[in-house]
Amino acid sequence: MAGVTLLSGKQQHLGLVAWLRWRLFLNGLRTRRGKADLASKIILGFFIGSVALAVGPLLAVGSWYAISHREPFILPGEFWFVFLVWLLVPILISGFGAESDPAFLLRFPLRYSTFVVLALAHGIFDPVAVAAVYWLLTILAGVAIASIGALLWAIPAAAAFAVLNLLLNRTIFAWLSRWMAQRRTREILGALFILAMFSIQLVGPLTQRYGKRALPVLTRVASASRLLPPGMAASVITARHADRALAGFAGLLIYSGVLTWLLSFRLRAEYRGENLSEARRASAVTRSTVGAGWHVTGLSPIVAALLEKDLHYLVRNSTAYLTLLAPVVIVILLTVGHGGPHARQPVFAHSSSFFFPASIGYVMLTLSGLAYNNLGYDGPGVAMLFSTPIRFRDVLVAKNLLHTMVALVEVLAVSALVRFIVGATPPLVLAMTLAGALMVHFTNLAAGNLMSLYFPRKLIPGQMRRQQASGVAVAANLGIQVLLATLAGGVYLLSRWAGHLAWCGVAFLVLAGAAWIAYRRVLDLASGIAWRRREILIAELSGSD
Amino acid sequence: MATLAVETDGLCRCFGELEAVRNVDLRVAAGQFFGFLGPNGAGKSTTIKMLTGLLEPTAGRIRILGLDLANDPVEVKRQIGIVPEGLALFDRLTGPEYLIFAGRMYGLDRVTAAERAQELLDFMGLSDRTKSLIVDYSHGMKKKLAMAAAVIHGPRVLFLDEPFEGVDAIAAGTLKAMLNRMIARGATIFLTSHVLEIVERLCTHVAIIHHGELVAQGSIDELRSGVSARRDDGQKLSLEQIFLEIVGGERASVPELSWLE
Repeated sequence: MAGVTLLSGKQQHLGLVAWLRWRLFLNGLRTRRGKADLASKIILGFFIGSVALAVGPLLAVGSWYAISHREPFILPGEFWFVFLVWLLVPILISGFGAESDPAFLLRFPLRYSTFVVLALAHGIFDPVAVAAVYWLLTILAGVAIASIGALLWAIPAAAAFAVLNLLLNRTIFAWLSRWMAQRRTREILGALFILAMFSIQLVGPLTQRYGKRALPVLTRVASASRLLPPGMAASVITARHADRALAGFAGLLIYSGVLTWLLSFRLRAEYRGENLSEARRASAVTRSTVGAGWHVTGLSPIVAALLEKDLHYLVRNSTAYLTLLAPVVIVILLTVGHGGPHARQPVFAHSSSFFFPASIGYVMLTLSGLAYNNLGYDGPGVAMLFSTPIRFRDVLVAKNLLHTMVALVEVLAVSALVRFIVGATPPLVLAMTLAGALMVHFTNLAAGNLMSLYFPRKLIPGQMRRQQASGVAVAANLGIQVLLATLAGGVYLLSRWAGHLAWCGVAFLVLAGAAWIAYRRVLDLASGIAWRRREILIAELSGSD
Repeated sequence: MATLAVETDGLCRCFGELEAVRNVDLRVAAGQFFGFLGPNGAGKSTTIKMLTGLLEPTAGRIRILGLDLANDPVEVKRQIGIVPEGLALFDRLTGPEYLIFAGRMYGLDRVTAAERAQELLDFMGLSDRTKSLIVDYSHGMKKKLAMAAAVIHGPRVLFLDEPFEGVDAIAAGTLKAMLNRMIARGATIFLTSHVLEIVERLCTHVAIIHHGELVAQGSIDELRSGVSARRDDGQKLSLEQIFLEIVGGERASVPELSWLE
């Protein structure tokens, strides 16, 4: 191998990784799905970018006002805003999924310093980081306009704050990757993530209800926040004495030092070749007798077996599990501000006849997502279904039965909850709502089965990231829900105008009957459609995520 | 003439411009241990997918045990078992759950499915992980489970796509023992493999596909005598030598790599 110069410089490695990313991006555009994803990213990026750009001048005005009028809360508020966006948005976007595995680079002669730079570069070129840096610059611009002398401390404070945020972002992702590498922790954190999302929605109603009592606690928390990075960064700029500014700046450096240590701890482990994979310690040997599968009276053995399989999948899927919990949580959420059956709040003055239909409507809406991509969780297993002597109709019947069972449980739970918190629903409203729910349910099953056969998308149980159904299926779902809501609303208003509300229930039952006929027709066609589309179904559902 | 377990006439499959399989006429007699060989990308997996109904042929006809696959897919599937390329497992089930499910899909009653599942788990050495989800199994365990699911209903024809790939020697021994038992009770096995030593040891008949076309078919001895006659050197050829001779992979001299000299 004489006469050949081996280039192994940092710059070359960085260039190669950038080239790799670019090629992956370009190659991704070869498929129709890749192009559609890019188009949606451009459209979304345009809107989000516009908002991010518009926020900049507001921050500049804020920091100008804070410095020129010695206003104590605006600047910390702005730094908190940048901090939280930089911290939370990347996590929300990744949906508690593992980031790309850096281990693939370890087979090459990469220096540790290059490995670290690559890890940091991942964070620097993140769109959220770019937006955050832009916001910091606009804050500095506002400070400069108010007092050019204030820049003496503002520039190092903003720079230290940016470095700290970058380190924090990278540290969080490095540790998340560690935890996300294993299915169990991934599912647990995914569940916690969804619960956190629910909890955030409770903040508003809880503040409304307990706001006054919580005020002293919140004030204490706010004053303690000065010791956290955003408060410190602001204090460096607003400090009247150099020693206080220096103390704030030192605080930022200490935070950065701790984060650097935490990050390097993880990066060193990764660099040494730590195995971030599904591998885990061997589970205890469990030997037990195999029990026979289910026998469900009235169902063919094939449908019973499929139903059993789908139920196993449902209860082992934290994401789907929590989706099912959502309607119950939302009803609780909406009733937090409600004082009970005899409450006099104006919003719920007519709650007995409003709340039940609204809650059931929400249940149907939430569950519709499961119907429109009902093969998604089967993944590669769908090939097994095609290699066995069954009609694909039975596969859909089992999935629809499970969907119906889940809907029934949800409706019962929500009805009990509404009865307990808000009070009894008038019988006519109850009957009308249930008839409407039947209409919606059968329509969703019919349309959902078709969409699942024509636009399937692989879903991974317990994983939030990139879990969307196909764009067409989502659009169809949305369109049909709007159509059903308009139809239900129209029928309701017409019968109310005619002075016979009972007609509404009858009309819903008739429409439910029509939807049932359509559903049966779709089932009759399903086996033929699935057989003709088996290659696409297998390829789409078996493919890598 | 022996009953044919697998028979194809003019089987073709195109992917856009690419003709992955071209005019393949296969004849596999019932009871044969049949190896389907070919270099990477030759069309082996495409053919096996068409034979098992997972892929629609662009042209041609497939008959399994005399049944036309296009006209009677359900009856054909009742008679066959398959371990496809990607294993096609429902990985959020446990091993026993999956085997019982597979058995019931093939029409076994639930008690029989459970009994056979238990036997298969014991045979495959998987009965100590009955509570683990398949997603947590090792690759070899998944392969053994896929094999168990493919035979749970006692198929008359078994299609195996690379059954020994990524499987350790112990597991491979178990699989081979099971396959030999199936052959002994009259089943037909159609397998693809890159491990030619295994194919030579197990199979009595082979077919070789190259660039989507069937270039050889017959018993290993027939192929050997055909190739030997061409070479005229009197040497007893291994299957690997026969394969290389037929697909033109045996080069007069291995080209040099300048920087490795």
